[in-house]
Amino acid sequence: MNRVRRLKLALWVVVGLAASVAVARFLFGLGTTTNLSDANPWGVWVGFDVMGGVALAAGGFIVTATVYIFKLERFHSVVRPAVLTAFLGYAAVAVGLLFDLGLPWNIWHMIVYWNPHSPLFEVGWCVMLYLTVLGLEFFPVPAEEFPKLAGIRAKLVKARLPLVIAGIGLSTLHQSSLGSLFLIMPYRLHPLWYSPILPLMFLISAIALGLAMVIFESHLTAYLYRRKPETELLSSLAKACRWVLLIYLAVRAVDLIVRQQTAQLFAADWRTALFWFEVLLMAVVPIVLFSVPRLRHSRAWQWMTATLAVCGIVLNRLDVGGIAHPRPDGSFYLPSWREIAISAGVVSAATLVFLFVLEHFHVWEERPADPDAEPLKLPELDPVGATWLGVPGIASRTTYSLGFILAAALGFGFLHAQPLESRGIDRTPAQRARGGEVLWIDGNLDGFGVNFKHVEHEKREGGKESCVKCHHMNLPRDENSACSRCHRDMYLPTDAFRHDWHASSSGAHVACYQCHARGQVRTAESAIRCDKCHKNLVPAGALIKVKSYRAVAYTEAMHRLCLGCHIKKAQEKNKPEMTRCDWCHKDKREVIDSREIAIRRQGLMGQDVVLPPKEAEK
Amino acid sequence: MKAAILTDTTKCNGCHECVAACKKQNHLALDLPRRWDAGDGLSAKNWTAIVEGPQHAMVRKHCRHCLEPACASACPVGALHQTKLGAVVYDSSKCMGCRYCMMACPYGIPRYDWQAAVPYVRKCILCYDRIAEGRQPACTEACPTKATIFGDRDQLLAEARQRMASNPGKYVDKVWGEYEAGGTSVLYISNVDLSFLSAGHTLAPKPLPVNTKVAMEAVPFAFTGVVACMAGISWIIERRMKMQNGEDEPK
Repeated sequence: MNRVRRLKLALWVVVGLAASVAVARFLFGLGTTTNLSDANPWGVWVGFDVMGGVALAAGGFIVTATVYIFKLERFHSVVRPAVLTAFLGYAAVAVGLLFDLGLPWNIWHMIVYWNPHSPLFEVGWCVMLYLTVLGLEFFPVPAEEFPKLAGIRAKLVKARLPLVIAGIGLSTLHQSSLGSLFLIMPYRLHPLWYSPILPLMFLISAIALGLAMVIFESHLTAYLYRRKPETELLSSLAKACRWVLLIYLAVRAVDLIVRQQTAQLFAADWRTALFWFEVLLMAVVPIVLFSVPRLRHSRAWQWMTATLAVCGIVLNRLDVGGIAHPRPDGSFYLPSWREIAISAGVVSAATLVFLFVLEHFHVWEERPADPDAEPLKLPELDPVGATWLGVPGIASRTTYSLGFILAAALGFGFLHAQPLESRGIDRTPAQRARGGEVLWIDGNLDGFGVNFKHVEHEKREGGKESCVKCHHMNLPRDENSACSRCHRDMYLPTDAFRHDWHASSSGAHVACYQCHARGQVRTAESAIRCDKCHKNLVPAGALIKVKSYRAVAYTEAMHRLCLGCHIKKAQEKNKPEMTRCDWCHKDKREVIDSREIAIRRQGLMGQDVVLPPKEAEK
Repeated sequence: MKAAILTDTTKCNGCHECVAACKKQNHLALDLPRRWDAGDGLSAKNWTAIVEGPQHAMVRKHCRHCLEPACASACPVGALHQTKLGAVVYDSSKCMGCRYCMMACPYGIPRYDWQAAVPYVRKCILCYDRIAEGRQPACTEACPTKATIFGDRDQLLAEARQRMASNPGKYVDKVWGEYEAGGTSVLYISNVDLSFLSAGHTLAPKPLPVNTKVAMEAVPFAFTGVVACMAGISWIIERRMKMQNGEDEPK
C-alpha cells in the first residue's frame, strides 16, 4: 500500500465515522450530539470549521493576487492547487455551517432577509459570492477534459482578471469581518484578544496563513505523490510570510500598548499562558525559522515551519472563537467526540475530493499516476501442479468502502441515546418530618424547612377523626403513615408500590398470578389494584384522592396537600397573604430555585390534582 | 411612550409569582434541569427567573430590552428586532439558528431550545402583544409586593429617583439600566451591587452595536478601495511589462 492509499483509507474511515454522527445530529438536534450550552453557544464547529476554515482557505486569493495582479509568473505552478484548496476549503466551511446552524434548511434566509449591520450577514454574503468566484476561477481546469465546454472555458479564461480582482476584494472583506464578529462582545472576549482593530489583525494573519498554507500543501502533496517539491520557489513565499508575520506581531504589540493591556501579559491566569503560546506558535517561532536562510531553503524545515504557523493561526481563531472567553459562572466547554468527528469528517471529505481532482485533472503540469488504478489481481491456475498461485488482491476501492462502513458502524455503536434531560434531577431522598406538636418539615435535610403546626391543624380540622383528611393513604398495619413513606424523593415521582416486598419469599409469599392476570404481559396495568387486598389503604374522606400508586415528588405532595386548603381559607378569612410562599417559608432562601417552583406550580395547575368538592365534604 | 419595567429588589420576597405568570402567559412547558443550563434559572422554557444576589437579595432576571439591542444588531437575518414600544422580539420564521445573538448579549439572556431537533431562540418578549393592547405584562401584574412595576420609562426613572430621595441610605445610588450599553427598558434599583447581572462587568454607556457599525460602514469603501487598487496595480504592471518588451524588441 502506498502513501496515498494509506491516507485515503484513513480519510474514508473518518468520513464514515462522521456520517454516522451526522445522522444523529439531524435526528436528535444539537443538545444531545454536542457539548454546546447556553453559556457557550458557539463551539468547535464555529471556531474551527468556519473561522479556521475560512482562514485556511486564504491561499487562493494570495496566490492569484501574486500571479495575476503582480504578474509574478514564476509562481504560476502553485495557482491551480491553491485555487482548488480555497474552493474546497470554502465548500467545507459551508458544509460545516450546515451542521452548526440550528435550522440549516433556513440558510438561504440570508439572501432574502437583510440586516446589513450584522458582520455575520456580511461574512455570509461574501462567502457565498467568493465560493462562486472560486468555482468560476477553477472551472477552466476540469473543463479542459470536456471539449463541449470549450466555449464557456474560453470566456471564463478571458474574464479571469476581473474574477481575480473581485475575489481579492471579497476575501479582504470577509477575512476581516470574521474579526468584526467579535467587536460586539467586548465583555465576553478576554482583553488580551479583544481589540477594536480585530478585523485588521484577522486580515493580516489570514494573508500570512494563506502563504504558509500554500507551502504546507505543496510539501504534503509532493510527499504523497513522491514528487520533487519546489523548495526554492516556496522559499520566496516563506520570506514574504515572514514579513507579513512581522507586521502582524508589530500591530499586535502596538495594539496591546495603546489599549494599556500590557499588565495582562504577566497576569497569573492560564489564558495568559495560552496567549504567549499562541503568539510564539503563530508568529515568533515561524519568523525566526523563516529568517535563517539555511532553514528556509531546507525542505524539512520549510515544511515544519509552515505547519507551525498554520497551527498557530488556527489556534488564534479558536481562541477568539471561544477558548479565550472567560466565563464568570465557571461554565466550561470541551467539545464532545461527536463534534470533533464531524469537524474531522468535513476536512477529510474535502481532502478526498482534493486528491480526486488532483489525480483526474490537470492541477499540476503532469497528472500523477492514479494510485487506485491497480487492477484486481486474480490468482492464476498453475496447470502443472493444479494449484492456484498468488494471493487474491484487494482493489483499493474495496478497502476504502470497508473502512467507511466499519467506521460508520462503530460510530453508530458509540452513539447511545442520551436521555433528553441530559442531566435530569439528582435523586434526593426525602426525610421524615421531625417533632411533635410542631413538625419541622425539611425533607432534604438542608436546613431550610417549614414549621408546620400539627396540633393546630388537627384541632381546626376536627380532632383525631380528621387525620384521614391529610393522611390520604395508610400503609398496611399503619394508622397514619408519614408523607415520606410513599413520597420518597424530593423532586422525582416514585412508585409507592414496592414490588420486591411483594415478590420476595420473605415477604408475602405471593405468586405472580395472585396479582397479575394469567396469559397477559405482567405489567402494572395488568395487575389488580392494591385495595383489593389492602382494604383500608385509602381511607374515606381524604382531601386527596389516590388515583395511581405512583407517588409524586415530596415537595409537590406537600404543596398539593396544603395549598388547596390555604387558598380556600384565604378566601374565607379574606387573608390573601395566606397563599403566598413566604407565609410558610419564612426563610427566603428556601425558595430559591425557580425551576423547582415551576415544577411545583405546574403540578398544582396540572390536571391530575383532585381536590374534593365542597358538597362531598358536607 | 417607551415601555419599561422597574424592579426594586428590596421589595422582592422571591415568591416566584412572576415566574409562574410568565409560564402561564407564554404557554411554556415543564422544565427540568438540563446539561446546557447556565445555572441562573433561565432556559428556553423559563423566560424569567429569581436569582440570588449578594446578601441574599432576590433579583428578577430576564431580558433587559436594551434601547439599542446588541442581539438585534447581530442577527444576520433580522429575526430579532425592536417594536415601537421598545420590546425586543423574535420572529422564529426568519431565524436560521446561528446563535450570534446569544454571543452578542452582554447580559447572557437569549436561550436556545437545545433538546429540540428544530430549535429556536427563546427569551422574554415583554408581553409585546399585551402592552400593545394597553395592558401590562403578566409578570408585573402578578407581583404581589409591587416589587416589579410596568410603566413609561421616563416616569419609572423619576419614580426610582423619588424612592431613592425619600429613603436616603436604603439604595445604592444608581439606577441599573439607565445608561449601561445605551440604556435598557428594564430598570433596577437595589440595596446591593447588581453588576453580577452583566457577568461582573460594569457596562460602559456606549451602545454595543456602535462597535460593529463602524466596521460595517467601512465595508463598501474597503471593497471599492481594494478592487480599485488591485485593478490599478495590475494595469500599471502590465503596461510597464509591455513597454519593457516593446523596448527590448529589435526595430
